[in-house]
Amino acid sequence: MSIFPTRRLRVARGPWLESYGLLLPGLIFLAVFFVIPLCLMLMLSFTVPSLGLEHYRTLFFTSAYRRIFANTFLLATLVTAVSLALGLPVAWFLAIAPRRWSQPVQLVLILSMWTNLLARTYAWVVLLQDTGPINQTLLALHLIAEPLPLMNSLFAVTVGMTYIMLPFVVFPLRNRIAMLEPALFQAATLCGASRMTSFRRIFLPAIATTLGSAGVSVFVMSLGYYVTPSLLGSESRMVLAELIAQLVQSVLDWGLAGAAALVLLVMTLFLYGVQRRLNRQPHTTP
Amino acid sequence: MLLSFENLGPWRIALGIIAALVTAFLVCPLVLIVMLSFDSSPWLVFPPPHWTLRWYRELFTDPDWLGSFMVSLEVGLTVTVLSVLLGLITAIGISRTRTAWRPACETAFLMPMILPVVVTAIALYAFFLRIHLNGTFCGFVIAHLILALPFSVGAILNGLAHIDPAIENAAVLCGSSRTYAIMRITLPSLRPALFSAAIFSFLASWDEVVVAIFMASPSLQTVPVRIWGNLQQDLSPVIAAVSTVLIVLSGLFIFGANFMKSEKK
Repeated sequence: MSIFPTRRLRVARGPWLESYGLLLPGLIFLAVFFVIPLCLMLMLSFTVPSLGLEHYRTLFFTSAYRRIFANTFLLATLVTAVSLALGLPVAWFLAIAPRRWSQPVQLVLILSMWTNLLARTYAWVVLLQDTGPINQTLLALHLIAEPLPLMNSLFAVTVGMTYIMLPFVVFPLRNRIAMLEPALFQAATLCGASRMTSFRRIFLPAIATTLGSAGVSVFVMSLGYYVTPSLLGSESRMVLAELIAQLVQSVLDWGLAGAAALVLLVMTLFLYGVQRRLNRQPHTTP
Repeated sequence: MLLSFENLGPWRIALGIIAALVTAFLVCPLVLIVMLSFDSSPWLVFPPPHWTLRWYRELFTDPDWLGSFMVSLEVGLTVTVLSVLLGLITAIGISRTRTAWRPACETAFLMPMILPVVVTAIALYAFFLRIHLNGTFCGFVIAHLILALPFSVGAILNGLAHIDPAIENAAVLCGSSRTYAIMRITLPSLRPALFSAAIFSFLASWDEVVVAIFMASPSLQTVPVRIWGNLQQDLSPVIAAVSTVLIVLSGLFIFGANFMKSEKK
């Protein structure tokens, strides 16, 4: 391009304004309303009420806060495991089933994904409460004597969050499975491999990176989730995001909240890095 | 074998059953909400003893709820316009930076999407309290714009990747100014990308709860904030009615988006 004289004429005021200049408004906006607030929060965590690492010590060495970390990781692990276990078969189904069957499933996934988060969570609150349809049905069938304590439990949060995370597992996996080479599996069958063997030796290795990357992204999203745990979960099983919100809203402990937020931020960035790594890896074709 | 549905044998049944169960798992809550919104009992008795439109009447005659819909719409549309404009400028800027800087720039603009919303929310809350933007329309828009911008930049960058810059350069060589070439050539071919940038930006604001909870004031509440507030007190069927309205809206949205897509082909 640069060999053309017209282009050269523009160089004087050209490239800088046309590229970096265009980035300026966005960068300034991001710096003022994203970077500065985050730095402010970071600063609060070291300076309120007095200068020091006090809040970090509290977070890491108080058993109550350690339990919150444990709850957070347990929840994220459970949600990731269940989402992957349910998401893989559905993705597989979507990739290979005839259109007339896969299309309705896909439509439902998209509709539920685009439905307001609170609407979906509200549905689970109603479904799982003591007087909700599930308990009522079980009571009517005399399968249980008194309502199961489904609400405000780890079970409820796991169900509610899996519901939200499923599309994030299903769609990338479906795309990956749809890309697999059928000839590989035919060859495996010709060579006498059973379905289980081709599943274990070809299918799983081929989708491993996608599975890993989807798993990490669900794990990251679950780590910082606030709405569902706070509506469906219990006080005794509080997670990190709830702690942060509560510290700011009711306790007004900005220092500790900032510290907790920073820990969450660092964990998120680390896992995001891992996920980027996974995504960049070439797909293994066994 | 594993990729042909007909030859899956017993695995086919397992796959079909799991897919059916998961679909049921996804549909049931939505159906339940819709049914409850017509349930005459205020205690959410299921199955409904009688059908009623009472909750919709309450919803549409309640100035608070109507006000919230207006606030959501105003914030959402303002965010959409700003996000598409800023996203467009930024995406063009990113696509023209030298390759070494590009990934860094992209990551920087994606950050608000990657960080947990609760972290962004309290950081903005702390900042806005100090510069007195909290509870204002302007503050609300800025906060949602931060969250919407990554979607807009992403969508437009994706669109730019499918456009050959040589065409714009050809126009410049033929004597057009750079601005004119962008207006007449690049922008029109970006239309689908701009459209999805607008949709995602709007939804990022319309559906957003966490940041909104911190930004809201008693007189400035979006629909999700009002739902949230109501959920803290009781499970009034009015929430089911609001949720149904939201489900129908997103259904229409998907239908519309699909329609646009098939129109394009």
